Amino acid sequence: MSNDSIAAAHAFVAVMRRDLSIYLSYRVRLVSQLLTSVFSVTLFYYISRLVHVSGFKSPSSYFGFVVVGISMVSVMYSCFSIPELLRQELVAGTFDRLLLSPFGAVRSVIAMTIFPLLYSFVLAAITLGLGCVLFGLQLHWSTVPLSVPALVLALLAFLPFGLLFAALTVLVKQGSIGTTWVIALLSIVGGLYFPVTLLPHWVRTVARLEPFTAATSVLRHLLVGSSIGESPSGALVKLALFAAILVPGSIMVLAGAIRLGQRRGTIIEY
Amino acid sequence: MSAHPLAEPLPRATLCEQAPSDEGRRPESHSSGAYPLALWGVTKRWGTGQPAVLDALDLALEPGTLTWVGGQNGTGKTTMLRIAAGLIEPEEGTSEVWGVGARKNRVRYQTLVSFLPAGDRGLYARLTVRRQLEFWARISMIARERVRPSVEEALDAFDLGELADRRVDRMSMGQRQRLRIAMTFMPGPETVLLDEPLTSLDTQGKALLIVAIRQVLDRDGAVLWCSPSGESLDLAFDARWVIDGGRLVGA
Repeated sequence: MSNDSIAAAHAFVAVMRRDLSIYLSYRVRLVSQLLTSVFSVTLFYYISRLVHVSGFKSPSSYFGFVVVGISMVSVMYSCFSIPELLRQELVAGTFDRLLLSPFGAVRSVIAMTIFPLLYSFVLAAITLGLGCVLFGLQLHWSTVPLSVPALVLALLAFLPFGLLFAALTVLVKQGSIGTTWVIALLSIVGGLYFPVTLLPHWVRTVARLEPFTAATSVLRHLLVGSSIGESPSGALVKLALFAAILVPGSIMVLAGAIRLGQRRGTIIEY
Repeated sequence: MSAHPLAEPLPRATLCEQAPSDEGRRPESHSSGAYPLALWGVTKRWGTGQPAVLDALDLALEPGTLTWVGGQNGTGKTTMLRIAAGLIEPEEGTSEVWGVGARKNRVRYQTLVSFLPAGDRGLYARLTVRRQLEFWARISMIARERVRPSVEEALDAFDLGELADRRVDRMSMGQRQRLRIAMTFMPGPETVLLDEPLTSLDTQGKALLIVAIRQVLDRDGAVLWCSPSGESLDLAFDARWVIDGGRLVGA
């Protein structure tokens, strides 16, 4: 490994440590997010007891289904938080610093994704833990360890969406433009709260084309033993293909957006 | 005169005799007569059909020189610095540090040049001074074993030791400016670009800045200082220019 590669690896870690330090400096944020998880899990526990959902053999099976969905929502939010984080850097003038560093803006933006994704990973685990501790959610412990590499693959498949919106932020300076409705849309077509089989046929077709549905299905299968509808290996291959094609593609788009901003001189605007 | 709006090339043979190797940090091309900073034919417009803010501007800094560029508000000083720093690109022309082009070899270029933008932005409000410097050292890709010493040296050089564990949002404007200047000089750049560096600085802060500038000049680097009017410093400028009509003219 060359000295430059080692220095770059340290820079990636430094960005992650920076984000952790900033996160920890807002102590209320962690408490707030834990409370959100507690109340979300509680809400859906009682909904699962109140309403009989067709396709589920018991209230508990729907509860397991939806807790994994809630966990995936936090992962999705983390992916789509990258543009807003980038916008904060633009406003604070710190993005200029990243751009002018030998580490560079593209690698910095990629590095900026590490902490939110790791954090969402932890938050997802806490949400599942709350389901177990508070409401007796039964996890399939024999396959739970397999969910870790599956989630990593899912994160790689989701990451390009965050990077593409980051590229949009570089160009139009609005971090959250589009992300709110995209998350809402993906929550529906990704089957986070209810099975996609309830959706119209054409929406189900869309659901098969994006990675969120496949990732959620695989994780449900591994965590709570839900029926997946397609082979787990097929879903994992789909996620791997998404990651293999879209990760380099989205990095190229991001680099192009930054270069365009430098050429037009708008990179310094916010 | 040490810096030239170039009508003709400078006597490069003289320059290469003056430029030391500096532990191999400088590219080999410096020995063939490159400058610590050279802008060649730089033209920048803010929009198609707009008049050029910079119009085929040439500037070359010789090693060991401090150059001042002034001019009224909006004449293009900051634009010139941003191009020289590699932050934005000109429509035409090039920016080089010791023969390394900003576009051709971005990583190398950014290792050689350091830019202090005007204002008080560019700091993470919730990080401490030490964390801020450590972060900047890391993304400046300073060698691992040099990170801690570099941070300690920067804290010492800019009298930030007592503030090391204080968060930036709890510091005064002058203290923040000292931190910004410390970040600018910490990686040991060959060329330093300063945009209105005296903002909020007290007498002590100015003195520390001058010491840091002298160190760059002593190792045959160059410093380009931009401000609307000439500064009164305990340090003489080797050259003074103002931007007029998108080009440099003698002040």
